[in-house]
Amino acid sequence: MNTGTGVAHRATATEDRLGRFAVKGVFWRKYLDWAAINLPFFFYPVPLTFFTFFFFFFAAPAQRAIVANLAVVLPGSSRAMNYLRAFRTLYNFAWTISEAAIRRILYEEFSYEIVGGEWLEELGTAPGAIVLTAHMGSYDLGAALFAEKFHREIRIVRAPEPHPETAEHLSESLERAGESGVKVDYNTAGALLSFDLLKALREGEIVSIQGDRVEGNVAQVESRLFGAKTKMPTGPFVLSLVAQTPIYPLFIARAGCRRYKIIVEKPIRVQSTGDREADIGRGVAEWCGILEEIIAGHWDQWFAFVPIFAK
Amino acid sequence: MNEPPSPRFYFALLRLLAKMRGGDPTSAESNAAEAWFGSVALYGISYLYFAAFVPDTLSWWVRGLFFVALAFLVMLFWLLMLYLNSLILKLLHTVGLFRSLPIRRGQSVLLVVTATAMAVALSQRDSIVSELGAIWLIAVTMNLVAATILALGNGDPSRP
Repeated sequence: MNTGTGVAHRATATEDRLGRFAVKGVFWRKYLDWAAINLPFFFYPVPLTFFTFFFFFFAAPAQRAIVANLAVVLPGSSRAMNYLRAFRTLYNFAWTISEAAIRRILYEEFSYEIVGGEWLEELGTAPGAIVLTAHMGSYDLGAALFAEKFHREIRIVRAPEPHPETAEHLSESLERAGESGVKVDYNTAGALLSFDLLKALREGEIVSIQGDRVEGNVAQVESRLFGAKTKMPTGPFVLSLVAQTPIYPLFIARAGCRRYKIIVEKPIRVQSTGDREADIGRGVAEWCGILEEIIAGHWDQWFAFVPIFAK
Repeated sequence: MNEPPSPRFYFALLRLLAKMRGGDPTSAESNAAEAWFGSVALYGISYLYFAAFVPDTLSWWVRGLFFVALAFLVMLFWLLMLYLNSLILKLLHTVGLFRSLPIRRGQSVLLVVTATAMAVALSQRDSIVSELGAIWLIAVTMNLVAATILALGNGDPSRP
C-alpha cells in the first residue's frame, strides 16, 4: 500500500534534463536489478569500484555533502582525508544497494548478527511501536528481515523520490522484498499520513521512520548532533507521545560480504508531563545521543547525501 | 543462513581442498576474498589482452594515457559482454536449452570462456604476460577437474 505519490517536486534542472538517467533516476535502479540477475558473485568487486568512481564525480553534490558531514562527525579530520572517506562511503553504498537488490530479487539469504537482541524480541512482540532508523546500511533489507523473522507487517515511511518512475519502482521493490510484510508510505501526504500512522500504531502495527534528517516541509525541531546545530523531524516523537508507543532505535550496518549487523538500542519512551515541547525535546535529545554513538562507529555507512549540519 | 548445499560451485577447487582437509565443501562460498580474487583475475586477464593492442610506436605519455583509458574501456567491454551474454542465454532458454541453468551461472560460464580465450592468446605471446595466461589456463582446468570430482562425489541437484 502506498500513501502519497512518492514523488517530490524538487528535481533540479539537471535532474530534469537527465530524466531517467539522473543519479536518482530509474535507469540506475533498473540496471541494478538487471545486474543482480545477471552477475555472478565474483564479478562484483571491480565493477562496483568503477561505479563508485563514476558516481564520486557524477554525484558531486552528494560527495560534497558527505565531506561536509564528515567534517563535523570527525572533528579535526583533513578535507583531503574526508574526500577519501567520502569515496569509502559511496563504495559501501554501492555494495549495500547491490546486496539489497540480490536479496530482493533472488531471495538469497544473508547472515546477520543481532546487537541488542532483547530489544529486538521486545519489538517483535510489541503491540504497536515506532522503529526509528537512519540512512545507514541497508535499512530496506532490515525491514524485510524483520517482517520475515517476526511474521509481522512493517510500514516504512520514506522521503519522496524526485522522479515518479523511481518512486514507483522503489515501492514495488520494497514491497516485493518484504513479501507483503512491508508497506511503503511517503511523507508527502501531510496531515493525512500522520493520522494514518497514528491509526496504524493504535491498531498494533509497526511503523519505521528515518529520523536522521529533515526532508521537505515536515515538522522539525532544532537540535544538536556532534555539537553542531541540525534539525530533526519531530513526527516520530509526536506520534510516540500521542499513541503512547515506544520508539526503538534500530540500525542495519554492513559487516562484510553478505553479512549484516542489526543494532537495536534501548527504546525511547516519550512521557507526557503536560509540556509537549519539552517532552518532544527530551525524546529528540535522547535520539540524537544514540545517533551520535552509532554514526561515530559507522560513519562510512551513514548515507546522508545532503548537508545535515547548519553552516 | 546461507544457500542450500550443492555440488555446483564457482570456485570448486577451493571447495575440494576444503573437503580434502576434512572441512565442509559447501561452506562460505560467496565470501569477499573469492569475489575479489575472481573479479581482479578476470579483469586483469582482459586488461592485459587489450593492452597488447596499444601501438608501441606512440610516445610514452600517449601510451600512458591509453593504458589509463583502457581501464575504463575494458570495463565497458565487460558490461557489453554481459548484455550480449544475456541475449544469448535468453535465446537458448527460448529454444528450450539450458532452462534449468540460472542466468548468473550461464553468465559465469560465458565470462570464463571469454577470459580463457584471451588467456590462450596471452599465453602465446613472448613476454611475462604469457606466464599469467598460462596460470589462468591451469587454474581454470584445475577448477573444472575439481568441479567434476565434487559432482561425482555428491550428486545433489543444482542450486539457483
